[in-house]
Amino acid sequence: MRTGPAAGRTGYFHEALCYRSEEELLAVVVPFLIGGVEANEPTFVALGERTGNLVRAALPADAKVEFLSGGDVYGRPTAAIRMYRQLLADLVADGATQIRIIGEVPPVGLGPTWDWWARYESAINRAYDDWPLWSMCAYDTRSTAPEVLADVAATHPCFAAPDGRHVPSADYVAPETFLSQVRPMPPDPIQVAPPLVDLLDPTAAQARAAVHQVGQGRLRADEFDDFVVAVSETVTNGLRHGRSPVRFRVWADADRIVATVSDTGTGPVDPYAGLLPSANGTPGGLGLWITHQSCNHVTSHRDAEGFTLRLTAGRPLGA
Amino acid sequence: MLTEQSSPYWHLCWAYDGSTEFMTHAVEFLRAGLAAGERVWFVVPGAAEPVRDQLLGVRDFADALRTGAAQVHCLAGAYTSTAVIDPASQVAAYRSATRDAVTDGYTGLRVAADATELVRTPTQRDAFARYEQQVNEMMRTEAFRAMCAYDRTQLGEPAIAELACLHPEHNLGHQQFRLYAVPMRQGQVALAGELDPSNHALFRTALDRAELHPVDDELVLEADELRFLDHRALIHLNEYARDRHATVVLRAARSGVARLAALLDLPALRVEAAR
Repeated sequence: MRTGPAAGRTGYFHEALCYRSEEELLAVVVPFLIGGVEANEPTFVALGERTGNLVRAALPADAKVEFLSGGDVYGRPTAAIRMYRQLLADLVADGATQIRIIGEVPPVGLGPTWDWWARYESAINRAYDDWPLWSMCAYDTRSTAPEVLADVAATHPCFAAPDGRHVPSADYVAPETFLSQVRPMPPDPIQVAPPLVDLLDPTAAQARAAVHQVGQGRLRADEFDDFVVAVSETVTNGLRHGRSPVRFRVWADADRIVATVSDTGTGPVDPYAGLLPSANGTPGGLGLWITHQSCNHVTSHRDAEGFTLRLTAGRPLGA
Repeated sequence: MLTEQSSPYWHLCWAYDGSTEFMTHAVEFLRAGLAAGERVWFVVPGAAEPVRDQLLGVRDFADALRTGAAQVHCLAGAYTSTAVIDPASQVAAYRSATRDAVTDGYTGLRVAADATELVRTPTQRDAFARYEQQVNEMMRTEAFRAMCAYDRTQLGEPAIAELACLHPEHNLGHQQFRLYAVPMRQGQVALAGELDPSNHALFRTALDRAELHPVDDELVLEADELRFLDHRALIHLNEYARDRHATVVLRAARSGVARLAALLDLPALRVEAAR
């Protein structure tokens, strides 16, 4: 039996917790967690260090709440989805009737790379709907930009209010709609300079070789290798599923590499592309999903000229 | 440009664009064999005599031709069948010739062969590719070295690529992959180079032709010279292993390969990362 406001529901109950003070945060989180423990529901905290410590200090010392490292969980949206889907499946297989999680997007994710976290917040309405999950996503309204809060309202069906109420979000939009919206793609500052690589219709091997030529030594070896995987997958997708010409460009500075792959087509049809592995064999779905787990930021844009995917490795903008 | 020498065996695929180019490289390859005390065979299409006459005027070869250290053979003189090769009997023939050379006091047998005539049709190539892999395996225990030359102007690069990828070395450019036998302590085969959708079909074919046999339910692929492979290749390796009720082990692979495999849930594949 599920407890709390999700009682009687199936699937995911996804709430935003927008707080203006530590007191407001704790006023919602502490009863949420203790309620989970009392109902014998697996109960998790995936907050950053500061907020996590606040919550820890407010809980009884022996509370059976599991603290996940928020930084590790929320490194990349697609990796977070993959981790949580596995966790939820395991817990339900072990007999859980409801799982409670309080989490937050790390501060770096609320800056120039917010767009992929906004897509995460929208996509998980479906991605976690296979399991009886009640989660809250905490946002500090004092330090969160209004446009981010607008996305929060559009991606969370409900708000957990500090007074204990659960208020439906009037601005919520279905994930298929939200994820299909064209979002702006402001250039990364290093894109102001001419690209170091500018190729038309390169093979995947030529694109990889070009990245090796200009990018080696700028990033950690592991990070660089993963970026090469992402470039190869993205160029392959452009050549196979996009419309020629495919234009491949690369910019780099001391600790960041940006690559864009553009074609004159309309981009992936699947609104969840990149966030979930393609379940129905959607062309290029798996490559895009891997790409999202191999870069520190992936964003896309459609306009009259076509579709562009931008990959960033190394220090993400805003970090 | 040649792929880097990565195997202790010498088995080289040389695509050439003219008979002069073939002659030049074959002479160079065989001259190194003479210097190493090997018996060398020059295997040519057409008649052997004109080539023998030509070699008599080439430095280091005149004496060697007279003593039998160097020999020129026509294709029928070196290959058990010039229609569709029978891999096992051809490997046996070269093994026997290698042992004869050693018995005669040479350090081994080295062959430079223009095999263009033997691989003109898909059926010929399928059999010859299987032979290439089996001769790689034979080199584990025999002092046999070979350069297989193919006329690019007659066969075209795609046909030669089918054969080149089963050699430890070739001159088709560094983007191609290679699959070839290595000492058993390293694994059944080495997988080197780069694998992406441009060569997946070739990779699948090469893997089938390699006819690998699991040892203790494992197929170990030495991957320390594998510069890149994508998820499609990993998925195919997993299916290949599953169909053979075995596990494919990618040994000494780049750590990125292990991270990629971890995303894909491939129960019949194990990656042992080098770093």
